[in-house]
Amino acid sequence: MATESVRPAPARRSGRERLVRYLVRRLGQAALTLVAIVILNFVILHLAPGDAIDVLAGEAGGGTPEYVEQLRHAYGLDQPIYVQMVRYLVNAAQLNFGFSFRNNMSVVDLIMSRLPATLLLMTASILLSFTLGVLLGVFAARRVNSFADNAISVLALLCYATPLFWFGLMAIVLFTVKLNLLPGNGMYTIAANYDWFEATLDVGRHLVLPACSLALFHMAVYTRLMRSSMLEIYGLDYIRTARAKGLSQRRIAFRHVLPNAILPMVTMLGLQIGALLGGAVLVETVFGWPGLGRLAFDAILQRDHNLLIGILLFGSALVIVANLVTDLVYAWLDPRIEVA
Amino acid sequence: MTFTATRFAPRLLTGGKALLGALALVAGLAAAGPAAAQGQPVRGGTLSMILNPEPAVLVSGVNSSSPVAAVSPKMFEGLVTYDPKFKMLPQLAVSWNQSADGKTITFKLRPGVKWHDGKPFTSADVQFSFMEILKKYHSRGTATFQHLVAVETPDDLTAVFKLDEPSPYIMRALAGVEAPIMPKHIYEGSDPLKNPANLKPIGTGPFKFKEWERGNYIMLERNPDYWDKGKPYLDNLVFRIIPDGSARAVALESGAVQYGTQYVVPLNDVERLSKLPNLAVTTAGYEYNTSVNYLEFNLRRPYLADRRVRQAIAYTINTDFLVKNVWFGFATKATSPITDKQADFHTSNIPQYPYDLKKAEQLLDEAGMKKGPDGIRFKVTIDWSPSGEMFRQTAELLRQGLQRVGIQAEIRNSDNPTYLRRVWTDNDFDINIFSASNIADPVIGIQRFYWSKSIQKGVSYSNGSGYNNPEMDKILESAQIENNPAKRKKLYEDMQRLVMTDLPNMGLVYIQWFTIYDKKIKNLNTTGLGPYESFADVYMEK
Amino acid sequence: MDGFRDFWRRYRRKTSAVIGLILLVFVALVALAGPWFIPGDPLDMVTQPFLWPGTDIEFPLGSDVLGRDILTGIVHGSRVSLLIGFSATIAALGIGVTVGALAGYFRGWIDDVLMRVTEIFQTVPTFLLAVVLVAIFKPSLSTIVLAISAVTWPAIARLVRAEFLSLREREFVQSCVVIGMGETRIIFRQILPNCLPPIIVMSSVMVASAILTESGLSFLGLGDPNLMSWGTMIGIGREAMRTAWYMSALPGVAILITVLALNLVGEGLNDALNPRLKNR
Repeated sequence: MATESVRPAPARRSGRERLVRYLVRRLGQAALTLVAIVILNFVILHLAPGDAIDVLAGEAGGGTPEYVEQLRHAYGLDQPIYVQMVRYLVNAAQLNFGFSFRNNMSVVDLIMSRLPATLLLMTASILLSFTLGVLLGVFAARRVNSFADNAISVLALLCYATPLFWFGLMAIVLFTVKLNLLPGNGMYTIAANYDWFEATLDVGRHLVLPACSLALFHMAVYTRLMRSSMLEIYGLDYIRTARAKGLSQRRIAFRHVLPNAILPMVTMLGLQIGALLGGAVLVETVFGWPGLGRLAFDAILQRDHNLLIGILLFGSALVIVANLVTDLVYAWLDPRIEVA
Repeated sequence: MTFTATRFAPRLLTGGKALLGALALVAGLAAAGPAAAQGQPVRGGTLSMILNPEPAVLVSGVNSSSPVAAVSPKMFEGLVTYDPKFKMLPQLAVSWNQSADGKTITFKLRPGVKWHDGKPFTSADVQFSFMEILKKYHSRGTATFQHLVAVETPDDLTAVFKLDEPSPYIMRALAGVEAPIMPKHIYEGSDPLKNPANLKPIGTGPFKFKEWERGNYIMLERNPDYWDKGKPYLDNLVFRIIPDGSARAVALESGAVQYGTQYVVPLNDVERLSKLPNLAVTTAGYEYNTSVNYLEFNLRRPYLADRRVRQAIAYTINTDFLVKNVWFGFATKATSPITDKQADFHTSNIPQYPYDLKKAEQLLDEAGMKKGPDGIRFKVTIDWSPSGEMFRQTAELLRQGLQRVGIQAEIRNSDNPTYLRRVWTDNDFDINIFSASNIADPVIGIQRFYWSKSIQKGVSYSNGSGYNNPEMDKILESAQIENNPAKRKKLYEDMQRLVMTDLPNMGLVYIQWFTIYDKKIKNLNTTGLGPYESFADVYMEK
Repeated sequence: MDGFRDFWRRYRRKTSAVIGLILLVFVALVALAGPWFIPGDPLDMVTQPFLWPGTDIEFPLGSDVLGRDILTGIVHGSRVSLLIGFSATIAALGIGVTVGALAGYFRGWIDDVLMRVTEIFQTVPTFLLAVVLVAIFKPSLSTIVLAISAVTWPAIARLVRAEFLSLREREFVQSCVVIGMGETRIIFRQILPNCLPPIIVMSSVMVASAILTESGLSFLGLGDPNLMSWGTMIGIGREAMRTAWYMSALPGVAILITVLALNLVGEGLNDALNPRLKNR
């Protein structure tokens, strides 16, 4: 688990110095991991039949052998793989992630142009799944084994078992096709002369269905985790003491149990990032959301290696940062734990 | 659960009725299309159209893929354009004259034409475009203009093409989409493939580049200095990139987008859309841009090297089913490898292979491909072009037909690069299903599949079957330089007969592309180029 | 046998676990025996396309865009889903248990190296990596299984490693070391059986998630083209979603039921095998 390198420390030493050393070590490991990811992907992609030039020439409906060779040379794809790989690593170290042949644009620009859409989708679905998950979990835990608790459990189980793309499709059938309530495609209405308020509202309306589809699975995870975490803490001594002191149920739940029960959820948040990026491929496909997931999928189909590796690297970096941040937040929330 | 005639009969009835309805509708609209060009054109308005997939660049001179072809001709013009019967109409050239031996073509250019950046357009641009761009960087241009040795420029408004062999097909490859005239002052001395102007083009056409938001839209604006005064009528053209078929249908339905072409919506949705009050469907405007759905055999495979086996396989395909249930009527049964739209070349008076499983079995037995104890004669793989769902469904139908005669077939799914590499570079396939454009003249669009010199590893959509027949080569090579239209037609008839006899590949259906548009949009399809025309004449009723 | 009876007594205490087991047995029966009752090739075009469920008694669940029977597809699809789910899990177990056991038992540099590798696979967004692998090695039953196991083994490796790290310090292992028992024997005979309960629990959840992953891959067009899987059926139906949503809806329900059953069983196993953690 991501919290693994976070261990209880016997005594506090110079906190800041240790934190810096910890960060340096984690970031060093992260850099190594990223290099390994580049190498791994280069090897995998090199095993793939076909390259970007096949696609370019194929989309153009063919071409002479000279034309094809000329293209391949122009893009440096006639070089041996290790030359291409070393060149890529050297460039990447300077934050130059190359050029997407298919899109005639630098990979960084391309990722940056699609990033806002994906970030919006991911943030919305994290907020949604986390908030709903915590609320439902707390609600269920306070009425354990009641009808409401069971209903929530069933709901969580169903959400947990639903393929998210299928949920998206069915939501489109219901809310877009049948009820005509919400848009089922794209991120905003194009060429509608909206002022900023209407435009925000418009994006919001487009966001509802994809964000819900993406949030569904993790909402179930949070609900179940929150419920069990709450129940575990209810069983602890200090809560019994609080009860004995005659504190109100509400006060115990929200002042004493909730803050502690929410801790394991933080770790889960870090793990969610990677899964969300993967899920974004499906959700963005279903809803035509102009984000990174869709871009990655197209990059695979077009053998746009630079772009694909760029996105994979970016996604991996996001996961690493998310894990680091959750570890730090965890340590900050729980004074018993210190970064080591 | 067997496939019996009785079970199938009701389907044929209902399907047939729906099809007839669709065809009547199509025919009516096709007739109404050009006629609807009455009324007074009005200035103004933004036309949003669907584009998919997103193009790589916006200049068809350096990238001849179809999304580029939809955008580029609005900004770049050719020397001429063509009417639905392939008659040449003036564009950047006002007149032309071919010498008797067919080796000299003189073009008089239009005076007063300016590039979008204000520089004047001259014969030097024509020379540069053909000699430095199209002959070198265009995927088909290298072949089309192989006999073009020089473009002379006696004055600013005259361009003289010098050929070392007559090349009748050149006269069909001069439209803005196929041979755009590009600005010498922008491209000279640069690598044309990486020139930034490929993303922000400077042309002479009725529309100028405005902006491109990746993954979202491309916007062009009216060129106020266009040479044809008063045109274009529209203020803006917006190309919306919408990757999902059902989303495209919604966009058209809601009026957010007013124009979509080719495979714009799932075919099963066209009938429903065509009944909506604001929308119309037409098949006009695809005369220049025709496509045929082919099935190709790999003749290097021992089983498939036998002509009888290939013929037997041809008999297992229920083309009627394809037309009805895969193409929903937007295709017609192919009778030859050359589309019937090219009446100058097409013939159907050649061997045909109607759906007949008994005949197939008989041919296979004759070829010595007996059924084994498990009922299987041999195994094949089927690859299909991942460019359309229809090809996968065709593969599934073929698989079923083959199984009925004891040939076990395995369908292989691959993404586009894998597919292209497998078929045209590694030749590692048995049967391949794909579509290809016939592009105006057989030398450009058809010859590549049958000429032994087109067996070129690494060149997609070339002679992938490995068909090598000296008789065929002789016909094709004679037709290349034959300047007499009647004699040329005869040569191509021989060629089609030979193809349908040898069957290195076969046409399955002629794809009938269609345009869905908002009824407010007028003057579409005034030429044979349909979606690939300049849109200078298109206007939008208020 | 007593152990089993004991286990069963604890398992059946939870109604949801029993329901899950019944559902799972039902799905398994459909997969095993269904093709006898509903014979025929699910890829065959047998009737008119776009036949709504309930309109023709012979095709109770209707037909898809090419006239293939949806009921046949769902019945035969259960085989594909379960086959992929279980094979991918077994493959992932193979890799994960080996890596985790080696890392946890030997510790030191072996542990460092293996955990770095594990980390790499855990860092790359998993579904994306699976898509890359399947797309590149051409979609087929085996590549899908390999791709799914390639992205799921790290979780098992971490679990097994953690178990090994704690178990190898226990007295019974230490005494084996003292009496000079071989390392392979200690790993496989002594430690591994003791970490089986958490592995079994995790496996059932992994089968479920493998089925979900497969459906996602097939939906994107990366399924085996010669098999009718539930994900493929949803993908086929998507084109016709506006006019015939049932084509996507029905196979989705099948996935939901199967995954739900597996999760319920997993939960039941967890409670029965780890009585201490019954609220988890």
